[in-house]
Amino acid sequence: MASASSETFKARKARLRAAFLDQLPQRLREARVHLTRLPDQAALVALELAFHTIKGSSGSFALTTITELAREADDVLKGALAAGAPITAGPLAALTAVFERFDALDLGAADRADPGERYGFESEPPPGPVPGQMTGQFAGPAHDHASRRREQRVYLCDDDSDLAQELCAQLACFGYCVTALTTLDALRAAVIAHPPAAVIMDVMFPEGEHAGPATIAALALATGHAIPSMYISGRDDFQARLQAVKAGGSAYCTKPVKTTELVEFLDALTHREAPIPFHVLVVDDEPAVAQLHAMILEEAGMITAVATDPAEVLSLLKGFNADLVLMDIHMPACSGPELARVLRQMSGYLSLPIIYLSSETDRGRQFEALEVGADGFLTKPVEPARLVTEVSLRAERMRTLHSLMVRDGLTGLFNHNTIMQLLELAVANARRDGQPMCFAMIDVDRFKRVNDTYGHPAGDQVLMALSRGLRLRLRESDVVGRYGGEEFAVVLPGVDEVQARDILDQLRRSFAAVHFYAGNATFNCTFSAGVAAFPRWSCADSLIEAADQALYAAKRGGRDRVEIAATLDPAVDFNRDCPAEDQDGH
Amino acid sequence: MQILIVDDDPLAGELVAALLEEQGHDCRLAENGIEALERLAADDGIELVISDLNMPLVSGLDLLAELRESGQTLPFVLLTGDDPADILAQTPGLTAALMKDAALEAVLPVLVAKMAGAARP
Repeated sequence: MASASSETFKARKARLRAAFLDQLPQRLREARVHLTRLPDQAALVALELAFHTIKGSSGSFALTTITELAREADDVLKGALAAGAPITAGPLAALTAVFERFDALDLGAADRADPGERYGFESEPPPGPVPGQMTGQFAGPAHDHASRRREQRVYLCDDDSDLAQELCAQLACFGYCVTALTTLDALRAAVIAHPPAAVIMDVMFPEGEHAGPATIAALALATGHAIPSMYISGRDDFQARLQAVKAGGSAYCTKPVKTTELVEFLDALTHREAPIPFHVLVVDDEPAVAQLHAMILEEAGMITAVATDPAEVLSLLKGFNADLVLMDIHMPACSGPELARVLRQMSGYLSLPIIYLSSETDRGRQFEALEVGADGFLTKPVEPARLVTEVSLRAERMRTLHSLMVRDGLTGLFNHNTIMQLLELAVANARRDGQPMCFAMIDVDRFKRVNDTYGHPAGDQVLMALSRGLRLRLRESDVVGRYGGEEFAVVLPGVDEVQARDILDQLRRSFAAVHFYAGNATFNCTFSAGVAAFPRWSCADSLIEAADQALYAAKRGGRDRVEIAATLDPAVDFNRDCPAEDQDGH
Repeated sequence: MQILIVDDDPLAGELVAALLEEQGHDCRLAENGIEALERLAADDGIELVISDLNMPLVSGLDLLAELRESGQTLPFVLLTGDDPADILAQTPGLTAALMKDAALEAVLPVLVAKMAGAARP
C-alpha cells in the first residue's frame, strides 16, 4: 500500500473527492428544483436519478455520511416510483428532512479546505486537528460563543414599529442582533438580499389577516429554501396558528411576548453546535484488529485511541476523556474482564461504558465477562454498521446521564459540585501556565421580593434569563454554574480582575434592561457581583471566600454593581487555609 | 488491458479510471450509454466494459442488453449503489456486479487483474 505509485492514486482520489464535495451543493440545488416540481412524474424520475448518482459516487469516495443520506432519499423515491401514484405527504416530508440534514452538513461553506475531514466522512483518520476547523465547544480563541450569536442574522417583522424596536432591544440583551422591519416589502427585500438564520414574524398585517405566514411561504417557494421562522401574534385562534404551521413556523408566541420564550426558540432555530465527536478507546492485543476497529469508528466520525497493551490503558485514559472503551476479552497478562475490574475500582471510571469485542461465542463465558461490570458484548467479526451503532448508542446515553449529573435542572448550568471541581481545575491550569484567572459570584438583587410579588414562575423566568445571558454572553472558555438559589458562579480563565469586572459589568447592564412579565405586570431585575482574582487569592477556597466578601460589599454598596475583592481590607487573610505550596506562585 | 468506463457522474468515472490506471490498465471514459456504444464501435481494442447501472436514457443494463443483442461478448462489469446480488442473479451475460462503496477500491482491481490474467492465458 505504501509504494510510490499508490500515492499517485491516493492523490488523484483526494482531488476527485474534493471536486465531488465541491460540486455537491450545486447538485443538491438542482435536486431541490426537481423537488419543487413534484408531484410531476418527470421530476420524480430526475430526483431519483440525482440521489442515486450521489449515493453511488459518494459511496465510491467512502463518504459514508453522504452515502447514507442519499440512500435514504433514494429509497423513498424508489418507493414513490414503484407506487406509481403521485408522491404523498409522508415521503415528501422524509425528502425534505433529508435535504435539511444535507444542509446541516454545511457543505456550502467555501472557507473550509476540506469539509470531508471536518465531519469525518473520510475513512482514513485525519492527520490531526486542522487549524480553524473546529467550531463549538473546542473553538480555541475566546469570544466565539457570543460573537457567533451576533453574526446570526435575525429579522423581526411587525407593523407595530414601537413593539418591533422594543423586542429587538430586548433580544440584544441576550446577544442577538435583530433587525426590525415594519413592512412585508422590506422583509422580502431583506430576505432575498441576505438570507437570515431566523425570522420572527407577526401574523396579521394591513395586507391581510394571515399576510405574515403567507409572505414567508411565498419567500420559501421563491428562494427554494425553507426560512426558519417563528410567529408572534396578538391572536390565539386556531386558524392563525394553523397558517403559521403551514408556512413552516417552528414556534408561535402570543403577545405580549415573553422575551425568554422568544430566546429559547431563537436558540433552537439558530444554534447549531457542531456535535462533539465520541471518544472511544480501543483495546486489543492484536494491532491490526485494533486499528481496523478504530478505523471503522473514525469513519463514523468518532475519535479513537488505541491500546495494544492493557498496561497502557490507564495512562491513555487520563488525557483522552473517553466516552467508551471497546476491549478484547482474551489478552495475555491481563484479560478483558480483569481490565474492566481494574477500571471499575477507580471512582472516575465507575460509569465509563465498556463493551467487549471478542470471538468468544460461549454464552456462559460471555456472561461471566459481563458480570464484572461491562455493558455489552459484540462478537468478532463485527459488521461495521453494528459496531458504530452499538458504540454510539451507549456513548450517547452515557453523555446524557453525565450531563444530568453535572447540570442544574432549571438553568442547564453546571451544578454546585461541578463548578467547584471546575474551579479547582482552572486554578491548577492558571498556576501551571502562569496566567491570571478570576472567580465571580453573582446574586440576583431582592430575589425573594420577585418571588413574593410575582410568584415563583416569574422568579424562575428571571433565573433562566440570567443563566442564559451568562451562558451566551460569556466566552466559550468561561465556566458558568448555579451556585445555589439565586446565586451563580463564574470561572473566567485568562483575565485579570479589571477585565473580569468589565465583562460582568456589561452583563449587569444588559440584564438590568431585560423586562420580565408576570400576568399584566412588567418588572426588571438587577444583580450584584463580586470578583476575586488569582494569584492574589491562591486557591479555590480563598477565591470563593474573597468573591463572596466582594459580593457582600456590592450588596452593602447599594446593589446593582460589581466589586473587586482586591479593594477590600487587606488585613483579612483569605489565603490562610490554602496549602503552603499554593502560595509559592506569587 | 483496455477498459471502457461508463458513468454519468464524470467524477465517479474518473475515480474508477484512477484506480485501474494505477494497475497499469488503459482506460477510456464515456458519460452515457450512447457515447459508450459509439466508443466501442470506433475502437475495437477495448477488452472490458465497466458501467454504472443507473444512468439517464440508457441504463447500464440497457447498454449490456444492446451489446449482447449486437453479438458483443465483451466482459461487462456493472457498478451500482445498491446491493448487486439480485441484478447479478437475474442478468445473464453480466460478468460481475459490484457495489459502489468503500470496498470498491480494494475489490475492483483484484477482479480486473483476474480478468486480465484470464484474457492472456
